[in-house]
Amino acid sequence: MTKNKANEKIVANSTAEYFAKNLQQVGFSSPIKAVLTTVKEAMDNALDACEEHGILPSIRVDIKKLGLGSLKNTDRISIKVLDNGPGIEEKYVPMVFGQYLASSKFGQGRPSRGQQGIGISAATTWALQTSAIGAKVTTKRENERKALRCIVVTDLKKNEGILKDKEKINWDSPHGTEVEFIIDGKIQMNGEGGLLTYLRGTILLNPHMTLTYHLTDMEPVTVERVIEEVPEIPKATPPHPHTMKLGEFLSYARLFSSHKTQDWLCKGFSRVSPNIAATLFKDSGLPKSLLEKKVNTLTNDEMKKLFQTIQDFEFQAPSTKSVMSLGEKALSLSVMRLGKVDYFSVVTRKPAICDFKPVQVEVAIARLFEKKSDGEDTSVQILRFANRVPLQFDKASCAIVKSISSVNWKSYSIKQTKGALPTGPYIIAVSVVSPFLKFKNASKETIDATDELVTEIRKALMKAGQDLSRHIKKEEKTQELENKIKHIEKFGPVLVNTLCRILGASEAKKKKAEEGIEKILGRDNLKTRQQLDEVEERLSVHLASRRDQFDTFMKEDEELHSRQEALLRAEEEILGTRHEEETSSRKEVSRKKKSSKKK
Amino acid sequence: MVKYGIKDQKSIEKIAMDLCETILTDLTQGKRPTLQATKSSLDNAIYSPALGYLTPGPKKTVTELNVSSVKKMSRAIFVLDILLKNIRNGAVNTKRELYYICKGLLKQNPELKPLDFEDQPESDGIIDFLCEIIECYREELNCYANDRGGQTYSKCLIVTETLPNGKKAKIDLSKLGTSPFTPKNRPQNLALTATKKIEFCLVVESEGTANTLVSNGMTERYDCIVVGAQGVPSNSVRAWVKRIQEQVDVPIYFFGDLDAYTLQNIFRTLKAGSAASIIRNADFSAPEVKFLGVLPEDVKKYDLFSYDVKSNDASEVRSLKKAQDALENDPFFKSRRNRPLAKILEWLIENKKRCEQQAFFSVDANDPLALEKILVKKIREGSYI
Repeated sequence: MTKNKANEKIVANSTAEYFAKNLQQVGFSSPIKAVLTTVKEAMDNALDACEEHGILPSIRVDIKKLGLGSLKNTDRISIKVLDNGPGIEEKYVPMVFGQYLASSKFGQGRPSRGQQGIGISAATTWALQTSAIGAKVTTKRENERKALRCIVVTDLKKNEGILKDKEKINWDSPHGTEVEFIIDGKIQMNGEGGLLTYLRGTILLNPHMTLTYHLTDMEPVTVERVIEEVPEIPKATPPHPHTMKLGEFLSYARLFSSHKTQDWLCKGFSRVSPNIAATLFKDSGLPKSLLEKKVNTLTNDEMKKLFQTIQDFEFQAPSTKSVMSLGEKALSLSVMRLGKVDYFSVVTRKPAICDFKPVQVEVAIARLFEKKSDGEDTSVQILRFANRVPLQFDKASCAIVKSISSVNWKSYSIKQTKGALPTGPYIIAVSVVSPFLKFKNASKETIDATDELVTEIRKALMKAGQDLSRHIKKEEKTQELENKIKHIEKFGPVLVNTLCRILGASEAKKKKAEEGIEKILGRDNLKTRQQLDEVEERLSVHLASRRDQFDTFMKEDEELHSRQEALLRAEEEILGTRHEEETSSRKEVSRKKKSSKKK
Repeated sequence: MVKYGIKDQKSIEKIAMDLCETILTDLTQGKRPTLQATKSSLDNAIYSPALGYLTPGPKKTVTELNVSSVKKMSRAIFVLDILLKNIRNGAVNTKRELYYICKGLLKQNPELKPLDFEDQPESDGIIDFLCEIIECYREELNCYANDRGGQTYSKCLIVTETLPNGKKAKIDLSKLGTSPFTPKNRPQNLALTATKKIEFCLVVESEGTANTLVSNGMTERYDCIVVGAQGVPSNSVRAWVKRIQEQVDVPIYFFGDLDAYTLQNIFRTLKAGSAASIIRNADFSAPEVKFLGVLPEDVKKYDLFSYDVKSNDASEVRSLKKAQDALENDPFFKSRRNRPLAKILEWLIENKKRCEQQAFFSVDANDPLALEKILVKKIREGSYI
């Protein structure tokens, strides 16, 4: 709302107007962030759309500089994201790209990437504000012959999307969506706001995705998928009664205002049955008859009493079925895509309840070959993920970074100054998935660091650290034993030669002494070699088991892939036949119509 | 108790050669050779009030040839080779020179490169190891430390030195003018003769203060010997004072600071030797030396300026901690004979004070001879421990 001082009028602003003036709150606070947020939002939408329709995502990202931007110290940048998703129905295109808070996932208890319906609309607004061009959208659904191409702009006053320059075009892809934004921004490749950092993180957490990216004048890069399964997105679950404050509780009730109160309690919350609803009313001193009345008939006092009773009631813990994980297999395969990985450990925790919300934590720690020479004193690279979306800014106050800093990495043979992040050639990737993940701000860059969540993440980190530490210790032991053997071979001859020189001993005696020392040190040598062989064998068995795991993963994937291909072929045959039947029957119908018209 | 004495170099050579022969024979038979040495540490130190110095106990370190010890053994034999050559040639070297000789030889022969020393303490350690095995002093191996201190002033002392070639050199200290006599290398080769009855020998912690006393005429007015220790007494100072004790019938007094470091590291080393050089203490300590001061009662009697030990003065705090440790573990301070010295340590720990010897200059500051008078008075009145 704004107050017009001249006329003393109070005017209500729309959501779109609010966000247009406050884009910094949703990730557009700097030119670098503007580019990254635009790419992120487009990719999130693409991935979510593919997954919801069971499509293995193949995404292409093209980013190029077009010239200087209209804003100071910015460039004019084109960001294009193409996916093979299901496509968008024409009536929904303006809502998706041009309207704020229009989302199919809002309020759902599902661990999806996008939820509120703000992100992509904010990108459209930024494009309008900086280049006066909205979002260029091309979309085609499977049953459409031609693709829809248009430009989406936002009517800020009405918070509505408007399609402009609409046309139907021929398009190679059977289905999918391409969106292009032309914005003012700055491209940063690496570091916190880096595009490569973001893309790398997205690759890690989406092993089922094939991604091609072409950034400015770099060579295009394609990273193929490593699993052939679309992750199953859990069904939406309602929130647990203990997760809301009074204000949220009252606002939530308004969404069910025309429903019966009992229906609202049983369907709007998890772990509330009709019996429990009746008990809640009884305990709050409210008449049972109100359960049958509509929610909007309850007074504020009655709602407050009900809320208080809910806080004091002991409900069953929320279900953990609403979270999802990549799984150690998929994460392992994905880690190998990060580069020349020398060794890694992966941990997937069982779903847990943190602050009355189901949460699942996964951790991967990888040690890279190529980074070993950079020195042990550089901080480890941290990849943070919330609901499979990489987080790149404001890491200091993030629950993930706090958890990493709180672990004593020295006990896992990784260097660390007290209270700081560990150092060395490592990547630590932490993924937190929860349908009700709480962020510190609207741009969702930092996960709120509650004690329970930090503890849960710590447990996963410590387990991954233990696995890595076992491997490092084996390596150190091997090195130690190798040094011992070299030692023996160096000094034995020196001792004998010096003694013989002092005593003027004969060659025969010298030879005997050499044989003697070989026997003595050779016994040590033999013992040491045996120890070394044992350790090397244990190490190679350990490594082999991991390789076997990969081979098993790869074989499983190949089998699955070939089974799927066989199924697809069979389907195609069936569908092909059906398609022919349908086409011929349609033709028959149209022929009949034509002939009846003539008549 | 192991008795060490000065060995002649022929005996040393024989012991060394026998040792090498034993090691080589063991090797030809496929047996592990072992090297035994006296353990030089406080837990193997015995204090005998009758002897007055720390002596080595029965504990030995045994080094058997194996993967871990082969480097140390090889180095020991290599250095022994060099020392034996020096003995045969009559050449002498300081420890630092030997370090560089080792490095030079190792550079010439690539096969010996694995023996290379990183720094001097490594080669010093091997030399000490050899002395412990052969049971001799480093000086008998013609290896001398670059010793400091021991500047000696007297008008009544003649030193006769037997040179390596058998000739004798006579030094009359009264004819040296203002220059002191400094004993070097082997004080055991020096014979001392007093030209008249000497009243006392004063060993002063600070060489500067010793020089001041002499410059102000102390040796003119008193038949005495004044020695500047120059801090912690080096081997030559310890051997020299021992020589004075044995050869000149004179009471010896030590004058130094009143602090834990002086008492433990300077006075105790001079009087009874140290645990680290346990094999040398018989010839390198002067058990008859008495502690003249600064005494705790002197602080009060002469109203001397003293300092509180500050909690942020790490070295002083460390000294007091070591003093506490010495009272509990050092056989010298635990001995009933040295109870009065232990009481000084207790006083220092309790009061956390220290007082420098130069504080005496504040007593009657206009009189340049005040210190001299006080010291002589203390000696004559028996104000010492």
